[in-house]
Amino acid sequence: MSQPVTTNPFIIMLINMTVVFLVLIALGVVINLIHYFDPTKPKAKPEEAPAPAPAPAVKAAPEPVKEEGLTPEVVAVIAAAVASFGYGPGAIKAIRPIDRNGWKQSGRAMGMDRTV
Amino acid sequence: MELFNAFVVSLQSVWTGSGFATFTGGHAIMIGVGLVLLYMAFVKEFEPLLLGPIAFGCILANFPGTGFLEEPGLMQAIHYGIANEIFPPLIFLGIGAMTDFGPLLARPVVLLLGAAAQIGVFVALVGAMLLGFNVQEAGAIGIIGGADGPTAIYLSIQMAPHLLGAIAVAAYSYMSLVPLIQPPIMKLLTSQKEREVQMEQLRPVTKFERVMFPIVATILISLLLPPIAALLGMLMLGNLFRESGVTDRLSDTAQNSLCNIVTIFLATGTGMTMSAESFLVPQTLLIICLGLVAFAAGTAGGVLFGKIMCRLSGWKINPLIGSAGVSAVPMAARVSQMVGMKAKPGNYLLMHAMGPNVAGVIGTAVAAGTMLAMLK
Repeated sequence: MSQPVTTNPFIIMLINMTVVFLVLIALGVVINLIHYFDPTKPKAKPEEAPAPAPAPAVKAAPEPVKEEGLTPEVVAVIAAAVASFGYGPGAIKAIRPIDRNGWKQSGRAMGMDRTV
Repeated sequence: MELFNAFVVSLQSVWTGSGFATFTGGHAIMIGVGLVLLYMAFVKEFEPLLLGPIAFGCILANFPGTGFLEEPGLMQAIHYGIANEIFPPLIFLGIGAMTDFGPLLARPVVLLLGAAAQIGVFVALVGAMLLGFNVQEAGAIGIIGGADGPTAIYLSIQMAPHLLGAIAVAAYSYMSLVPLIQPPIMKLLTSQKEREVQMEQLRPVTKFERVMFPIVATILISLLLPPIAALLGMLMLGNLFRESGVTDRLSDTAQNSLCNIVTIFLATGTGMTMSAESFLVPQTLLIICLGLVAFAAGTAGGVLFGKIMCRLSGWKINPLIGSAGVSAVPMAARVSQMVGMKAKPGNYLLMHAMGPNVAGVIGTAVAAGTMLAMLK
């Protein structure tokens, strides 16, 4: 093991932190250069031409009935689950929680058990 | 009678050759330590993949008369892989194959947070030197603050091999305790308004950038800091396997089978350095305390620099992502996400924190390389 350059802990700290910052700044510059010279990056969009006259409105799918209290996240998750089975958003007519009556829930659970 | 004497002599030779004849209190204590670590790993699930084999290695290392390190065999081969710095770069190969540098490439300014969090390394170094450790030992202890196990082991082997066991145990224990250590420091140093800062969506990163980065970074860092060329080179090679898109088999092997195999060897071998003679010394307690100081200082450094960047960017950077600069991938980024979500539900910081998190891995390796160049 050769002799260390210095044994003053504060100087070691100062030099090392400076080197760490400089190397990572250099790496940041490299990343920016790669981005700058990237031949595959999407080109900046040209000035947008004036918008064409609006097309006649297509009849939109009816807005599904949404129960009060359902958060947009829950609606999004349910819509995604329905979409994963190949149905479009128009297939959803309404989203509402099922009746939370304990007896009915129990009956449903038993029915599902029998089918498995 | 002759038969009886032969029987007694045989029994005596079995006894004197057994571990019990030379078993000491120190061995018993270290086996106890191994059992406690096993409990922490498998019951409390503190980094079980690493702490488990380390704990078992610790138990194995404290059976007298095994001759593990003196006679050729598996244990000596494992020790060779540790003593000659073979395993940490191989682990880095796997880490590279698992790492997505995308968030860093999309916002390279967060590299500064990865650099700022390295202050913990040097605060612990100063503390260790003030407590009487020599400069090489202090450097090895300080690197615990980098929260990066393979780098800590890599540096310890070269600068203070006799402290390897204590440093590895401290590093992995604190890494598993990141969700407990970091949040109070993050909350203490930030205001509610700062924690609620919502960051903009990251720009998409092209495949060209993803492929070029590991190549150029390897060339740059290896030329600047040759002592860590093996470590950084393997990290970037693993990442290149992942990003090239044509080496899926290599990427899969590096991040799964190879990484798992090397983890078993590295962790077991590290545990086997925890013999009673080298571990049961007052220095071990100091190392464990300094490790905590290193983690806390690194977290504080990252968050404080994050506050500066928050102001300079016009409140576009949430200071909470600064704490992820201590490495501990991906745990530290998850902590940023958790604290951010608590301050403002729906404030998703995970991907933003992954940038400083992987910058911290590079920063710790750079800190280790600088110390090797200066102090070894």
